[in-house]
This record gives sequence, C-alpha cells and structure tokens, in this order.
Amino acid sequence: MIKEINDKDFKQEVVNSESTTVVDFWASWCGPCKMLSPVIDELAQELNGEAKFVKVNVDENPVASSEYRVASIPTVMVFKGGKVVETLVGFRPKQAIKTAIERHI
Amino acid sequence: MSKRYDIAIIGSGPAGLSAAINAKIRNKDAIIFGNKELSYKLSKAPKINNYLGFFDITGSQLKKAFKNHIEAMDINITEEKVNAVYAMGDYFAIMVNEKSYESKAIVIATGMEHSKPIRGEEEFLGRGVGYCATCDAPLYKGKVVTVIGYNKEAEEDANFVSELASKVYYIPMYRDKYGLNKSIEVVEDKPMEILGENLVNKLVLKNKEINTDGVFVLKDSVSPEQLVPGLEMEEGHIKVDKNMKTSIEGCFAAGDCTGKPYQYIKSAGEGQVAALNAVSYLNSKK
Repeated sequence: MIKEINDKDFKQEVVNSESTTVVDFWASWCGPCKMLSPVIDELAQELNGEAKFVKVNVDENPVASSEYRVASIPTVMVFKGGKVVETLVGFRPKQAIKTAIERHI
Repeated sequence: MSKRYDIAIIGSGPAGLSAAINAKIRNKDAIIFGNKELSYKLSKAPKINNYLGFFDITGSQLKKAFKNHIEAMDINITEEKVNAVYAMGDYFAIMVNEKSYESKAIVIATGMEHSKPIRGEEEFLGRGVGYCATCDAPLYKGKVVTVIGYNKEAEEDANFVSELASKVYYIPMYRDKYGLNKSIEVVEDKPMEILGENLVNKLVLKNKEINTDGVFVLKDSVSPEQLVPGLEMEEGHIKVDKNMKTSIEGCFAAGDCTGKPYQYIKSAGEGQVAALNAVSYLNSKK
C-alpha cells in the first residue's frame, strides 16, 4: 500500500525527501483516480527502492494541492531535490508514467 | 469481476463494422459500441461511386447492405456511449456512464470530430480547462467557473458545479430552453479564446470578456486523446503504423480517426487490418 500523506507532513515526506518522489493527487469522488490507483500501486512495486510513492487526498489537503496548483485530478507529480520535475495531468497508461518517472531516477 | 472481452470496437461506421466481421470470422469474442444508424455520415451521403462492388448507390442503401451483413453474421451493436478507455496494463477498462466493460484489445473507430477546440483550450488543459465538470468541480469550491455546453447534459453538470462554485456562467452552444439553477448566469455569446498566465483567468467571447478561474468544455464526443488518455496523436489524428497499431500496446485504430483520405473503403480496409492485428496480438499473449 502506498503511504497517504497530508498537508502537515508534505514538506518532510516530499520536499525534503532525498529520493525521487512520486505524488498521486486524488479524491474519492474522482473516477479516473480510482482507475489510476492500481496502476500506481503496480509501479510502486516495480520501482521499489528507486523512487518513493505517496498519495495526497485533495479534499482533505487543500494547502498542498493549491500550493502545487492542482487544477484537475488525477495529477501525478514527480519531485526531485524538492522541485517538481514532471507533472502528468489526467489518467495515463502505466508505461507512460513509468517512462516519465524513470527519466528522474 | 465483469466479463473480459477479447476485443472491444468503438464505433459502428465502416471501419468498426469491418473490424467486427473480421474479429467474428477469427472466432474472437468482440463487443462493438455504436448506434443503430451505424454512421450519420453514411446516412447522409447522396451518391457513392467509389466503393468497389457497389455502383451508383445512396448512403442509406450502402448502410442497409452493411446492416444485412452484420445481422447475417449475428453481430449486435451495443448502443452505449463510451466516455473513456483506460489502458490498465494487460487490459482496457471501458467506461460507459455508470457501467464499465473490460477487454484485452481495443480498436478505436470513432470517426472524425469536426468541431475545433477553442483557442487556448489545449494550452490550459489541466490548468483551468477541464472536460469533466463532475470530476473536477470540488477543486473550484468558492471560485468562478464557466461552462461551455454543447448539449443538454451539460446543463446538469453546470447545476452541480453551481452548488460549489461562487459563480457559474453558462455558455450554450445550441438553442433550447435551459434547465439551469437560478444562480447560473446564461451568456449567449461565442467563445473565442481562453486566456491566462499560469492558470486560466479569462474567457474572451465575441462581445465581452468574463473573468473566470475555470472553464469546462462539455461536448457530445471527445477527441481520441481524451477518450483514451495517453494516446499519441499526430496532426489531429491518431498516430498509427501500417499495422494500425497505436502508441499503446493492444490498442489499434482505423478509419477517419487515423487520418485522410476520409473514404468508406479506406476505413473498411483499415478496420480489417486493425482487427487482424488485434487477433495476432491476442494470440501472442497466450
């Protein structure tokens, strides 16, 4: 299972993280998010040790989602060295997300 | 767990039907999405002289011949509108309003959408522009939202958004009575351009401008890249190779949606190639 993080620990878990970190912004009412969730789970297993994966529920965490200007979900962001290096808006096939992440590990 | 079809064909024009009969001949379990009319373009054609074997016939006569053919082969069209197709890795999830279907391979044969996007629409997609109001509405809580509606269904979405947003403008792209909440402001004007810096902040219409945080564009049919997120496009068409393979493994495309010329027999030929390659793809996975 991918760790759920929130506004409070976002900085510590993502911005200050030493490894490449993949953040999945989602909400329970979003259909495409539900479809993306198992894809992200699979990727987390495949890239275990190479990238860190976390989830942010935008309903419960407005600070992080507005700071990073999440205007549509699902949005997957890849962070490296505290900065956003990749933003994928909307559902994407597994291979497309994997390729985007692998560019940064 | 729902049933998983071998092949799902999206579209019931010449490309989709030709794919369907070839999948059937190869004994694959296929589902074909479309409508009873098969293709509105076909019904409208006054005279066709370039479909080999059929000479001097009308579109509706050719449609009848297609219909007889699929009925003789016991192929049924599922009359449901596909909203999205998700490539899940080893299968496809096909979303139809409240339901979903699954298939191992897919053939996109959706024809060509002629209405062009508004200037700025693609640029600001995901940064204020959206195509699913019910999906993203909660992100616009207390903000100003504009809904550009191409059909009656868009009114319901606008009503839903109005419960969360501080202000909703509705721009109808059709003429009818609008079943909208009182708080929604109807603007009968032509959208010209979506503007903004990082995020959307303005919609320019022919006669006025609206300050807005979000713009939802709600159409009858969506472009292939919205239908199948992640699908690679090339100059407004789905990018395919000579085997009708797209950028997504197991996803094939045929007909007008792959490019010009827009012709019946070209579509039928591509539908056949797509179906046969979908069959080889399925066989290679066994």
